[in-house]
Amino acid sequence: MISFEPSEDQQLMRGTVADLAKASISPRSREFERARAVAPEVRAAVAELGLGMAMLPEAVGGSGLGLTTQVLLEEELGKADAGAAFALPGPGPYGLAVLELGSEAQQGEHLSRFSDASAVGAVAWSEPRALRDRAGFATIAKKSGGGWEITGKKSFVGNAGDAACFVVFAQIDEAAGWNGIGAFVVARDNPGLKMGARHETLGLDAAWFGEVELNGAKVEDGARLAPADFTAAALRFFAKHALVVAARAVGLAGFAYELARSYCETRVAFGKPIGHFQAVAFNLADRAMDVDAARWLVWRAAWCWDAKRPERECLLASARAGAQALETAMRAADDCVSLHGGAGFIRDVIAEKLMRDAKQLALCGPSAEQLDQLAAAVETGAPLDPALLLPTPDLQAVFT
Amino acid sequence: MIEFELSDRQRQLVDALTQLGKGVIRPQSLAWDRAHGIPEDFLRNFMRMALAFGGTQESSRFLGGADDEAPKEKDPARDTSKPSHANRTAAVASEVIGWADAALLLGLPGPGLGGPPVRSSGTPEQRKRFFGVFKGQLEEGAPLKWGAYGLTEPGAGSDVASIRTSCVKDGKHWILNGRKCFITNGGRAAWTVIFATVDSKLGRAGQRAFVVEKGTPGFSVGKIEEKMGLRASETAELVLEDCRVPAENLLGGEEAYVSKEGFMTAMKTFDTTRPLVAAMACGIGRAAYETARDFVKDNYLMTRPIPRYAAIAERLAKVGRRLEAARLLTWRSVWLADQHQENAKEASMAKAYAGQAAIYACTEAIEICGAHGALAGEGALLEKWFRDIKVYDIFEGTGNIQRVVIAKRIVAGLKAF
Repeated sequence: MISFEPSEDQQLMRGTVADLAKASISPRSREFERARAVAPEVRAAVAELGLGMAMLPEAVGGSGLGLTTQVLLEEELGKADAGAAFALPGPGPYGLAVLELGSEAQQGEHLSRFSDASAVGAVAWSEPRALRDRAGFATIAKKSGGGWEITGKKSFVGNAGDAACFVVFAQIDEAAGWNGIGAFVVARDNPGLKMGARHETLGLDAAWFGEVELNGAKVEDGARLAPADFTAAALRFFAKHALVVAARAVGLAGFAYELARSYCETRVAFGKPIGHFQAVAFNLADRAMDVDAARWLVWRAAWCWDAKRPERECLLASARAGAQALETAMRAADDCVSLHGGAGFIRDVIAEKLMRDAKQLALCGPSAEQLDQLAAAVETGAPLDPALLLPTPDLQAVFT
Repeated sequence: MIEFELSDRQRQLVDALTQLGKGVIRPQSLAWDRAHGIPEDFLRNFMRMALAFGGTQESSRFLGGADDEAPKEKDPARDTSKPSHANRTAAVASEVIGWADAALLLGLPGPGLGGPPVRSSGTPEQRKRFFGVFKGQLEEGAPLKWGAYGLTEPGAGSDVASIRTSCVKDGKHWILNGRKCFITNGGRAAWTVIFATVDSKLGRAGQRAFVVEKGTPGFSVGKIEEKMGLRASETAELVLEDCRVPAENLLGGEEAYVSKEGFMTAMKTFDTTRPLVAAMACGIGRAAYETARDFVKDNYLMTRPIPRYAAIAERLAKVGRRLEAARLLTWRSVWLADQHQENAKEASMAKAYAGQAAIYACTEAIEICGAHGALAGEGALLEKWFRDIKVYDIFEGTGNIQRVVIAKRIVAGLKAF
């Protein structure tokens, strides 16, 4: 039966996260931005709530709340500060990648360290540039003894600065192009892994996006995540990750809309609040519609995964939700700045930050363009070609 | 719990209507469009089948709800202490019928849009009398009957307070003078709810609603409109010239107009019908989207590196996700209604969004299919859907009117523009 009512537990959790976000995150958003980090006591408070592991299955030490609960919580975080949402402790995209790509034994092993709720995980996917001479990653993983040796440079890696462990994607078979890639769990203390430079970014400043270098990093064979169908598993990972990002985008969009609305209710011009002019009021009505629509798309996609609907349906729903939410966030933030007029361009008002955050958020995972290609491939029954559907450096580089 | 699964009953209804749509309705759709009507035999059979399938009031509400002449105690849709399924079922069914042929839903016999005001504002005697008209109409040989809703005039549509049709009490009658236009099923309706005013300067406070029966002296059908689309649905002009309406046909009786509320309930129609209009738009949009998608599958080898193919993929995806967004906004508005919660804002959101999303779907679908998309013929209905869909952003309140409704509910202190 169609229902839009979160369960009591979900409402309770959402309330808790909303309270924390309202008290400790949104008022300090500019401070975190300037410091380029979320304050340690806020990270500790989030760790204490166990948010990072909430959605992961109980078998790996999570709370088993599922994606539907997670998107409810992520929306609240995105509403408070999308930058902070990317910088909070927990396995994050690393957890999703290990779950989709790893065997059951590997999931248990590589997620066990997150019983320490302050631990952080990261995914090293992108590279500084696309290769010109062949398809695939420049980073190479070579068989060496009983394990692997990885060499190359990864970039646009979220939480690169404080991650305890990484899922590193690298080329295993150079001749096989994007069908020849593999994934490896590499710990931060691996002597062959070196932190690269931190990127200066357009937005989401509270989060660390940076480079990671691998100089013959040696890992055991057990560190290789090798699902039977690598492309399918990687697509599942990116689709779920896109959904988490989409939930944050809905939060950001909702906040931008609310900010614009309240400004338009109080700013007086030509003798009345500007929100009482049709051109302005209709714009607000359109953004309100967009935010609701994007939220329901995200809920529906999350429900698909939790309800174990057929995989193609889940991929389709996630791609639609992701693309729609990213566009919605950008539009809402852009209009929020516009409705503030000149004030929107000044850093005294948070509107300009929302706009920068929204643009960068749209590249934290598969972009709307890439998600649209995925949706179309699923709908037309085209083969799920990794070269066309994974967010490779060949297509459009993304943060992870 | 958050859930997006149809109930078993809803799924069966959707499957049955889909089969009927594919096998029986669509093959005749273009012929009906050209003939400006749907044969009564077909309408009768369709109603019988649908009622036999659903049986209950809940699932037949979308068919016009002719059988619920008075509120029944056991009707879960009325019992506000318990959530109902009726609005959700009506929405999923309306989408499928829209997907098959939208004009069909508008042309079904029964009270139509005239039903809700009579149901909500009519006296028990009036409900019995006016809904009684539809009793037994599905029996062999009995003529089909329609009801209609007459609000719009040549000079006032969305601006309801400005209607000019006048009513003057004259003993046991009211004398009505004026013109109503764009009235669905107006020409053939057994009765029409007509809005008129005792004094146009009084605005809404001066307005009265009457049930005007076919054959009332001074009541006649004017022009039957030639339309861009939905041509199988009748749209008529109604003329009232010294039309003498019996006093007992004043909807709700005199006492209903002592306060403004009697009239306001008659206007409430839209909160329940807008989501259904949105659902039908989703259905038409989906039909166009699926046609374009299948055309792409059958005609283009999408794996070839042709730049247009990536562009087509993106366009298809954009259409698909906007339609899905429209559907979810619609579902949300009917879910609220089923919980007996206020849904005027959400109903308008669904209507505004779905109208646009579906127009976009039809426009893009034709473009993607190229010249093939503009052809009319057997199994080629894109051009018809393109013509049908436009009015979904117009009737039951244009897109801009929906934005007025939404804006008043989100911007503090905004009463009117």
